[in-house]
Amino acid sequence: MSFRFLIFILTSLFLNLSAKAQDAASLNIYTYDSFASEWGPAPLLKEKFEKTCNCTINFIPNNSSIGALRKIQLDGERSDADILLGIDSSIAAEAKASGLFAKHNVDLSNIKLPANWKSDSFVPFDYGYFAFVYNKEKLPNPPASFEDLIASNIKIVIQDPRSSTTGLGLVLWLKSVYGESANKIWQQLKPNIITITKGWSESYNLFLKGEADMVLSYTTSPAYHLIAEQDNRFTAASFLEGHYMQIEVAGILQASKNKQLANEFLSWLISDEAQIIIPTSNWMYPVADVELPMGFEGLIQPKNALILVDDLVQKNSNIWIEEMLSAFN
Amino acid sequence: MLRINNIEYSYEKEKQKYQYDFSLKAGETIVISGVSGVGKSTLLDIIAGFLTANSGEIILDKIKLANLAPEHRPISILFQDENLFEHLSVEKNLGLAFSKAIIDKEKIAIALKNVGLMGYEKRWAKNLSGGEKQRVALARTLLRNKPILLLDEPFSALDKKTAKDMRLLVKNLVKQYKWHTIVVSHNIEDAVELNAKNYIMKNGILKKT
Amino acid sequence: MLLTKGIIASQKRKIIMLIIALSISAFMTLLFFSIINVGNIFASNTAVIKIDILQLILMSLMQASLTTILSLSAGIAIAWALNRLEFFGKNLVVSLFATAIVAPAMVVAFGLISVWGRAGWIAQLLEFFGLSWNFSIFGLGGILFAHTILNGAFAAHILLARVDAIPARKLKSAQSLALTPFKRFILLDWAAISGALPALGSIIFLLAFTSFPIVLMLGGGVANQTLEVAIYSAVRLSFDLDLAVKLSVIQLVLCMIIIFPAIISNSNLANAGVNYSYKWQQKGLAQFTQIIILVLAVFAFALPLLAILIDGIAGGILDTLSRPSFWQASFTSISIGSLSAILTLILAVLIATGRAAFSNGILKAILGLPVFAYLVIPAVVLSLGFYLLSNKLDIATSTSAPFVLIIANSLLALPFAIAILAPAIETINYRYDKLSRSLNLSSLMRWRIVEWPLIGREIGIVLALAFCFSLGDLGIISLFGTNEFTTLPYAMYQSLGVYRSNDAAVIAAFMLILCLMVFWFLPVIFRKISNAKN
Repeated sequence: MSFRFLIFILTSLFLNLSAKAQDAASLNIYTYDSFASEWGPAPLLKEKFEKTCNCTINFIPNNSSIGALRKIQLDGERSDADILLGIDSSIAAEAKASGLFAKHNVDLSNIKLPANWKSDSFVPFDYGYFAFVYNKEKLPNPPASFEDLIASNIKIVIQDPRSSTTGLGLVLWLKSVYGESANKIWQQLKPNIITITKGWSESYNLFLKGEADMVLSYTTSPAYHLIAEQDNRFTAASFLEGHYMQIEVAGILQASKNKQLANEFLSWLISDEAQIIIPTSNWMYPVADVELPMGFEGLIQPKNALILVDDLVQKNSNIWIEEMLSAFN
Repeated sequence: MLRINNIEYSYEKEKQKYQYDFSLKAGETIVISGVSGVGKSTLLDIIAGFLTANSGEIILDKIKLANLAPEHRPISILFQDENLFEHLSVEKNLGLAFSKAIIDKEKIAIALKNVGLMGYEKRWAKNLSGGEKQRVALARTLLRNKPILLLDEPFSALDKKTAKDMRLLVKNLVKQYKWHTIVVSHNIEDAVELNAKNYIMKNGILKKT
Repeated sequence: MLLTKGIIASQKRKIIMLIIALSISAFMTLLFFSIINVGNIFASNTAVIKIDILQLILMSLMQASLTTILSLSAGIAIAWALNRLEFFGKNLVVSLFATAIVAPAMVVAFGLISVWGRAGWIAQLLEFFGLSWNFSIFGLGGILFAHTILNGAFAAHILLARVDAIPARKLKSAQSLALTPFKRFILLDWAAISGALPALGSIIFLLAFTSFPIVLMLGGGVANQTLEVAIYSAVRLSFDLDLAVKLSVIQLVLCMIIIFPAIISNSNLANAGVNYSYKWQQKGLAQFTQIIILVLAVFAFALPLLAILIDGIAGGILDTLSRPSFWQASFTSISIGSLSAILTLILAVLIATGRAAFSNGILKAILGLPVFAYLVIPAVVLSLGFYLLSNKLDIATSTSAPFVLIIANSLLALPFAIAILAPAIETINYRYDKLSRSLNLSSLMRWRIVEWPLIGREIGIVLALAFCFSLGDLGIISLFGTNEFTTLPYAMYQSLGVYRSNDAAVIAAFMLILCLMVFWFLPVIFRKISNAKN
């Protein structure tokens, strides 16, 4: 490789990276991978919002929402993040306790959530229900409850609660249904579990490959297959006990220099104009009262939407996670 | 009587054809001399069975050898080096001459005595000198006592004195055990001291001088 | 002693090597310190999930030991079979086994699942015959299986070279002595390979001990964690940085203890110059066994790779290939990989020539330690250290990202590069050192005239190896990736995250093909280049 070629590569890398125009008004929004990818909501949201303001917004991907939070914590005062978007309500309390987030001034009175969830630090922008997804053709008799699942030979794949909010969701789901005896359920569930993956992506991929009969995912996952792939074989199992909710929220960083713009963005995020994108780009339910696309009507509607109080979650999630992990040792 | 009848061979990628035709009585020695690469070792490989001749026959006292695998040919072969297993003792190296697992210690002792290495049983092959290694190898051929003895540059790695001693030893053993002996060597002294007929390779054909 | 150019050259090399070794060690300490300092901030906020360190260590040791035993056994058996058999396409098979070390582990894990999983090829095949497939690829069994396939192929490749190098005369002696196949193995083959086993075993042990993607994917959950996975969790998830450093140091010390004897024993893993002019094939039961072993080995090893290629092609290549993001990630990966490879080569050459200049064996071994330490440092710790360092130096991570990737990946590939280069250079040194000095060659001249022409092939291998390692890295990029700066593994991961497993399959196949091509062609090209200059 000649010297000049080397210089060329280095320069182009440099140029590429510093090409981001530093506008007077810009927002750095830290979020998780899939949200910020070309398939996720980010490109559309960016396009639409930038039309209304004279600014630039940058969605900065991290390999998970928890990862994004950690990165902000790592960067400390150097962090250039204005907004953290996409964390689960279950880690919102921990995030709040870190003192890194500022109170927002977004009006939340018009959002509709199946369960009551309010916060002055975070703005919910979409939600979903955790559920076990399966292939109708391969599993004609799906379980209708955890007890059914335990009693069967069905193989499931789940995620690690330390690295995945879906994994954490299952821990909280079992806790909210079974309380103290959640441990027993984990023990009984063990033989059904093929493997525990680090993130939702690996699990879902394994499920699609046919390694597992069911995967811990969302009630809205089948909508992707139906709408984007015209594939109607997938659906979620409706459990009698109800389903735990995942509410995705966004918060403004205390250290942000663009708090006003950030507030404007978050207000806009829960408006109809932004929310209409959510169902077919993030595959979750919108918090605004917008029309759902065709295909969403076939999704199962949980009879009970379960959610635990923030403080309770924050105080106990470590203990609960440890309990779950020790069931596997 | 060992008869090499019109053996012909050519290597795959080469044009050169090698031809050998001669016979040898029991107890007789021939030395094939010449520079390297003219086809001397090829003959040994053919007789030993490592190469298959394109045509011709090898007959030992009415038995055709061509159909036999190298393991079954009635030959002993000695190279310039790599004849012994370095990590084994002399005794174990010699033990390989027996087909059964049981080592006949007496026979080993006698063989070692015959090559002038009495008491060397427990020594490690690795620690022997070049000359001693060749002697042990010779002792092994003694134990095997196959009618044909093939030697490929057996003395080239030895110093003058040791080589001279070895030649004398070989000469005596061949006379005693009546082996049909073929020696390949580039050294003139070998033919003289082994009291052998001298052959050379000329244009790929084995000729007596 | 007259200070001739020749002697100065030797001293120069020693000094350069010392500087590099010291810098590398210092660097590592610096990284650890940065991490420890940051750890305190998070004490109150984040989850401190207890783990049983002792059990973790025992688990890692057990898995690594089992892997080593299984891999060496498999390697010996395959080398034995390959040495005896001759068949059309043998070269291809041998090269295939050589690629075991460069295939990105994450990609291989997916391939293994495709073949051996519950819904994999084997399962489908058995179902066709009405049998059921009950083997779970997840769990300790799966990990051992995957490790044995990869490391066994690697071991086979190394050991085959040793067996092939047995001199023809030795073979002929043995054959005319009518040695049984068993005796032949003990007296000839074992003598040839036993010298390489300590070093080979140590390397395999370390690879298994610090194995990450495979344990993560096939571990089946939390019970089968290795130290490396626990360190990853501590850094990225529970954010217990103190724990991460603690565990890393434990891993470092343990592994150094294990590998030290191997480094000292000076065993040679290099190709001893295969020169087989004679082939002693066996018949009967022995040959039959060899064929079975070979068929099983090729089957086990080639199938997962094939699965990746097929999944990739079936996944709708045109669609993925038409995306600019794919080509951007490819460009980045290839550039970083190339630069990383060059840096690795330069460092490896400097270190290897420097080490060769030292005649004291113990000194040589000690100086080699800092390099081998990188065999043992978790990529995630390295990445975190760089990240914090970058912060401390007030460099934006988006700017430092390419540099970090290049440097970090070089350091991680360095131990292997040296393992390949050092024996060749030591041999050259042994042969030509006195001559070079007596001819008064300067260091550079010596490199150009003596060393470069003779190690063309090794240089090609080092470049290919470093390139492939860099290509498959997911650990370092995870902290430094952005939308504009992505690599292929990162893109693959992203695709999985948006339900686009087809894209992921295509990227995986692309990475595999890239690695295979680079690994097959670079050594040949470099041998030609270096010889042409002669």
